Amino acid sequence: MKKGSDTKSAYIMIVPVIILLTIFVYIPLIIAFIRSFVDTSGDTVQFIGLGTFIKILQNKNFTKSIWTVIKFALILSVFQISTTFLFANALVKINTKLSMFSRTLIYLPNLISGIVVAVIFTLLTTFNGGIINSVIGNMGIDPIAFNNDVFWSPVSIIIPTIWIGFGYFSLVMYAGIINIPKEYFEAAEIDGAGFWQTLRYITIPTMKNYFILLMVTMIVVNIQMFEIPMIMTNGQPANQTMTPVLYLVHSRSNGNISDNEITTSAVLIMLIIVAINSAIFYLFRTRKEQEWEM
Amino acid sequence: MRKRNKLILTIIVVVIVLGIFTPILLMFPSMFKDKYEIFAYPWKLFPSTWNFDNLSRVFFLQYTSLEVNFLQSMLITIIVASIAVVFSLTINMIAGFAFARLKFYGKTFFWIFVLFTMFIPGITILITSIKVVSFLGMIDTLWVLIVPGLVSAYNIFFFRQFYLGFPKEIDEAAKIDGATNFQIFKMIYFPMSKTPMVIIGASIFMGYYNSYLWPTLTISHERKELYQIMYIIRMLFSDASSIGYGSVLAATLISLIPPFIIFMIVQKYIREGIALTGVK
Repeated sequence: MKKGSDTKSAYIMIVPVIILLTIFVYIPLIIAFIRSFVDTSGDTVQFIGLGTFIKILQNKNFTKSIWTVIKFALILSVFQISTTFLFANALVKINTKLSMFSRTLIYLPNLISGIVVAVIFTLLTTFNGGIINSVIGNMGIDPIAFNNDVFWSPVSIIIPTIWIGFGYFSLVMYAGIINIPKEYFEAAEIDGAGFWQTLRYITIPTMKNYFILLMVTMIVVNIQMFEIPMIMTNGQPANQTMTPVLYLVHSRSNGNISDNEITTSAVLIMLIIVAINSAIFYLFRTRKEQEWEM
Repeated sequence: MRKRNKLILTIIVVVIVLGIFTPILLMFPSMFKDKYEIFAYPWKLFPSTWNFDNLSRVFFLQYTSLEVNFLQSMLITIIVASIAVVFSLTINMIAGFAFARLKFYGKTFFWIFVLFTMFIPGITILITSIKVVSFLGMIDTLWVLIVPGLVSAYNIFFFRQFYLGFPKEIDEAAKIDGATNFQIFKMIYFPMSKTPMVIIGASIFMGYYNSYLWPTLTISHERKELYQIMYIIRMLFSDASSIGYGSVLAATLISLIPPFIIFMIVQKYIREGIALTGVK
């Protein structure tokens, strides 16, 4: 069959997708990039180079929010990858029926919106009369201001975020583990490898691609998080839980900074995500080569 | 020794699964508590008297500050999400089929064109997308809620991956019999796509149902009837001191009914579907 034999029907099939992506993704993206290099406040549009970038990098609130969210994203991805991986390993080992049942149930939180989860967790963690504070009060511990304490407010943001993703990520990990050829594990067992040795030398190296995929997904999602902090802490106390997207949404409704600066900040967020993800690909690639040498 | 390990693992799994559901289960009875009891100390699981005021307030009253009925906006959100599922599934599936099976000029270019959108964060194009939809006169219409999010590179990728696994001989045989590419898709590929359709359809539905930022910025108070449910919940929550946390909680828990129904529909397909994501 010739190379372009299906051209006509294929174009009809992809044309809706191409048109919609052009209008609602590429045109806005191009405008966003152009706007971050120009000044539109005067009568005429003027090219100002990196001027807007420099301005937003001097905005302490914004740069602080970037560091905050990077910190959150790193904590979240390390914690989620390790716990869901171990949990998936447990799911493989237990009784098949129970494992099936658990795998179905843990998917549910993934369907619930950040707003709803945040409302539920706010009511759990309220200072006066929240369930958690009542329970620890019964044990004689003083109530904790989970949503308004420098140490606890990041924790109370991170826990619901983990709660939403835990089931889904465990299922992806599970799919990764059951795709590993059985012979590998049998060979390891014959050689007398224990649980941890099997993990270290068989499961983890063969699942490298799953780790990369999940890490990249988590970085993209978590760097843009804002619904949970918006409801639970509104970025407080002292902007400890202010994420960049929440900051930009706030700024837009207050008119603190211009639309151009918001767009430029958002372009910067994209560059940061790309940089972190490239770093992840790079780090995993070098490690893989080292392992081949062993 | 091995038996004991298995028992420990079983206990860990059961505890974690129960732990995941505890937050929601703990909240259910609070919906029936009155204004004062909901934050009373010491906390009790069940209310001293079951009261249905919170529920009836959600069902029958229009909230003064918003002037919209909660159930009505839940219904409009479900309608928006359902329309989106139909259109989104159709165009993404058929594009996935074209990229998996057809030979055409510029295929690599168009494939990169589609895939690259995966790397563009929503926030980056948020403000300029609003400018584009207002230029198109879509602000405050039903379409602004539906159309911009229809295409998903991830979903096209998913369908392409799924169709790549089909034996090529089927369509070659069909072609010899004189079938067009559209007929091949309709008669062979579409009927075999039930599992990915359910999984992706559910994720599209939930994506629309749960969306907050886009509807908030594109629907103004002039079209209150188009307010989406997550915006309503967020507004109720910020008015909680006057409405009462019980009613906010009742509204929040009622909003969980559609996700729960979706969950019941997809649960049979989840295991198969995750394996399909095809990370290799």
